[in-house]
Amino acid sequence: MTLLICGAGLLACSSVNTLTFENVQIPITKEYEQFNSIDSLISPYRSELNKEMLEIIAVAPKGFDKGKPNGALNNWSTDVIYNSQLDKMDNSIPSFCLLNWGGLRNSISKGDVTLGDIFKLMPFDNEIVIVELPMPSLGKIEEYLISRNGEPIAGAFLKQGKISFLNVPKESHSSFFVVTSDYLMNGGDNMNFFEDRISTTYAGELLRDVMIFAAEKQGTLIWNNEQRIIIE
Amino acid sequence: MMNRRNFVRNSVIVSGGVLCAPSLVGQVTLAKPKTTKLTILHTNDTHSNIDPFPENHSKYPGKGGVARRFELIQKVRKEEDSVLLLDAGDIFQGTPYFNKFGGVLEMKLMSKLGYDVATMGNHDFDGGLEGFVKARQFADFPFVCSNYDFKNTPIDGHTQSSTIIQKGEVKVGVFGVGVEMKGLVPDVKYGESVYNNPIDIANDRAAELKRQGCDLVICLSHLGYEYKSDKVSDKVLAQKTKNIHLIIGGHTHTFLEKPTEEKNLIGETVLINQVGWAGINVGRIDFEFDQKIFAKRDVIIVE
Repeated sequence: MTLLICGAGLLACSSVNTLTFENVQIPITKEYEQFNSIDSLISPYRSELNKEMLEIIAVAPKGFDKGKPNGALNNWSTDVIYNSQLDKMDNSIPSFCLLNWGGLRNSISKGDVTLGDIFKLMPFDNEIVIVELPMPSLGKIEEYLISRNGEPIAGAFLKQGKISFLNVPKESHSSFFVVTSDYLMNGGDNMNFFEDRISTTYAGELLRDVMIFAAEKQGTLIWNNEQRIIIE
Repeated sequence: MMNRRNFVRNSVIVSGGVLCAPSLVGQVTLAKPKTTKLTILHTNDTHSNIDPFPENHSKYPGKGGVARRFELIQKVRKEEDSVLLLDAGDIFQGTPYFNKFGGVLEMKLMSKLGYDVATMGNHDFDGGLEGFVKARQFADFPFVCSNYDFKNTPIDGHTQSSTIIQKGEVKVGVFGVGVEMKGLVPDVKYGESVYNNPIDIANDRAAELKRQGCDLVICLSHLGYEYKSDKVSDKVLAQKTKNIHLIIGGHTHTFLEKPTEEKNLIGETVLINQVGWAGINVGRIDFEFDQKIFAKRDVIIVE
């Protein structure tokens, strides 16, 4: 290596920059609570929210728990979503409703049901969609339900590995309509069979809003522990 | 505990094919070396977590909380001259605060905390484009969204493709890249927003910020840290671009213990950092710029 020092502006080299860094990921804990100087900005919102979330909107006659392959919460959640879409299609009704066990985030305890309880059950702003699938895709859903040891369904049963619809004859159609959420339609929880979709209709309603409406309407929540999925 | 790392670049000004050797300049430096420090604080995926998690929470008992984050930020601001506060998106959605108030409180609080810049995550579309604009009115900081084209949407004019912030003696360029909305965000929520290739855009933006004399170029990214598939992530972004020094990431809720060092298109080191979600942690990176100035006639040539 040869080092040369050049004279008088033959070449311009004005500076050399070096950059070094230090890092720490700082956990936010109680340690920082001592002054709490902006809590006054939050507290009016918190009070308003709590007031609303503590409002009693229904009564649960028993505890609603989610289960695999079946559970009272699975049935209640899918029933209210399915029923809300029964009159939404021209000349037809959706074949069944499919949600996911993982998406039901909280049980409903026996006794008073608050608005906050439904928010805890369904915190996501997922929207209801009606997805049209070709009849051959039904086999993929059957396989999926078996592999997952069941997921919440309404309007259908799974027995001996086959789905039967309660309200729509399978034989006369080349496609069927599933009520679900936009999250699952987009492949959430590996529901990849929705990629086969022929058409999608957005209901323009959130699952949670429909659940709230249904709870208020029922007054006493309808407890149903029907075994809709039977896996041999 | 801080880890000091000698990293990124010995960025050397090269002209006329002549290379200056940084390890040797010390010997011929005429002016005194000058050191400038810049402290970066950052969050991602705060998801409307205004209050701390409850003490009986199964995973994060008593963690997080915006009021506490404010105290931490105030403490750092007292100790340091130059602080930059950044967020990498998904400010909205996750608690009833968003459902009820549409993101207004999140924006008010971020303004109060003194955020300098943020970018949009996929959940920031959850209130629809008009919902974002409505809440955004309460934010007094810019949103940088470089690869979303909002031309024919209500958001048009409410975000910008990059920004330059002078912090002390350091000129910092910040731009932002977001994840593809299709399949992630309902069509009706993003309307006619157009998603452009984040790699191409990042290269364009970073080159432009460098051209405008930025000493440091930061990319706020909501692409996600890493994927098994070939989907574009922060790691891919780092490898396929140049002129970016730091990527502040989000979307995948990744709790990194320390920033990842990745090599860019021309072999320079790029830092990637991400701090999980829900405001449980705040990332802090302190950059030190050492500028050794020497007279123009004292050029060193290494052969």
